[in-house]
Amino acid sequence: MVKNITIFTTKTCAYCPMVKKFLSAKGLSYDEVNLDDEPHRQQEALALSGALTVPVTVVTKQDDTQEVVVGYNLAKLAPAIA
Amino acid sequence: MAERTEENSHQVIMIGAGPAALSAAIYTTREDIDTLLLEKAIPGGLAAVTDQVDNYPGFPDGVAGLELANNLQQQAERFGAAIEPTEVTALHDEGEWKRIETITGDYYAKVVLIATGSAYKKLGVAGEEEYYARGVHYCATCDGAFYRDKRIAVVGGGNSAVQEAMFLTRFSSHLDLIVRSKLRASEILQKELQKFVDEGKITVHLGVTTDEIVGQEGKVTMVKGTDTETGNEVTIDTDGVFVFIGLSPNNQFAGDQFQTDEVGLIKSDANLMTNVPGIFVAGDIRSGATMQIASAVGEGATAALKIREYLEGHPIDVQAEV
Repeated sequence: MVKNITIFTTKTCAYCPMVKKFLSAKGLSYDEVNLDDEPHRQQEALALSGALTVPVTVVTKQDDTQEVVVGYNLAKLAPAIA
Repeated sequence: MAERTEENSHQVIMIGAGPAALSAAIYTTREDIDTLLLEKAIPGGLAAVTDQVDNYPGFPDGVAGLELANNLQQQAERFGAAIEPTEVTALHDEGEWKRIETITGDYYAKVVLIATGSAYKKLGVAGEEEYYARGVHYCATCDGAFYRDKRIAVVGGGNSAVQEAMFLTRFSSHLDLIVRSKLRASEILQKELQKFVDEGKITVHLGVTTDEIVGQEGKVTMVKGTDTETGNEVTIDTDGVFVFIGLSPNNQFAGDQFQTDEVGLIKSDANLMTNVPGIFVAGDIRSGATMQIASAVGEGATAALKIREYLEGHPIDVQAEV
């Protein structure tokens, strides 16, 4: 079960709205960190994902384990929120 | 394998939801043809992740790629097109019905339109895989924000490379455009580029190959190349490399059932039908396509009309050469 979800985004990223739309369609809420507004959190996104890219979706489960999905990757995103 | 049911069956399934498929869907749904689009990434395809589109007719001041994509999507959905986010893994011709395998289950269609488009081609040089998404990128609008006040190198000399290079200057402290031979971008883009060069924001390196992407401690630090005239090594210090050197077909699901050209683009006849009856192809994935949004839209419309004829049982020109 999903405890919470955080998405790292930017204003120009076209794939970011796709992740948000996908999660909303599944009835899931999320917190958004826009790196244009909060550039000091880029290192956090990099540390979690190992990548200099967005979207980065961090799914925290009830047992506090985390799954990190880089990009709009349905093959990974769908099982991560299952 | 899932059995065919009313729920998973459609008259037309389009693989992809880029400009070609969305345009085709506008036409098929207006004819009340039940149409489903399967999209693994973003409706609008590469157009959606392009900063600015200036050569699509009807927009005198140009249009943001994402806005154009959203408009196409809304227009198709207005007439009843459904877009399912999923990834197609295989396509089977089972006679009257085509079976489409996806990561979320099987779908069936009487007619399939392949409109999966293309992805940006990779350089195939040392360091590219190693620094993928950590210094080597293929989407400026996605990843540019990580390079605020840093040096960026863009590889390529076509429209996409020049357009995205100019976009990336909003982040970069300086940008190096590395062009293997000469600029192939349109004249108007080259004129725009010159303004950035004059302002000292971009340096253009013509006749320089990109041979290696070099890094230290997990970060890209340099591009190594060769001056094609002198044969001398060229080194360009950079923090990140964005690659726009052409397109590679998204054909991984197609197997070997289709006739393709030497680069893997799917061949069609004059009706945009492949060598498999009932499976059509349009847009950047089609052999002979001009890789333009405007022509993809036109091909989508043409494919839709030919699909309608096919569904109605009207004889289309099956003798047309593949």
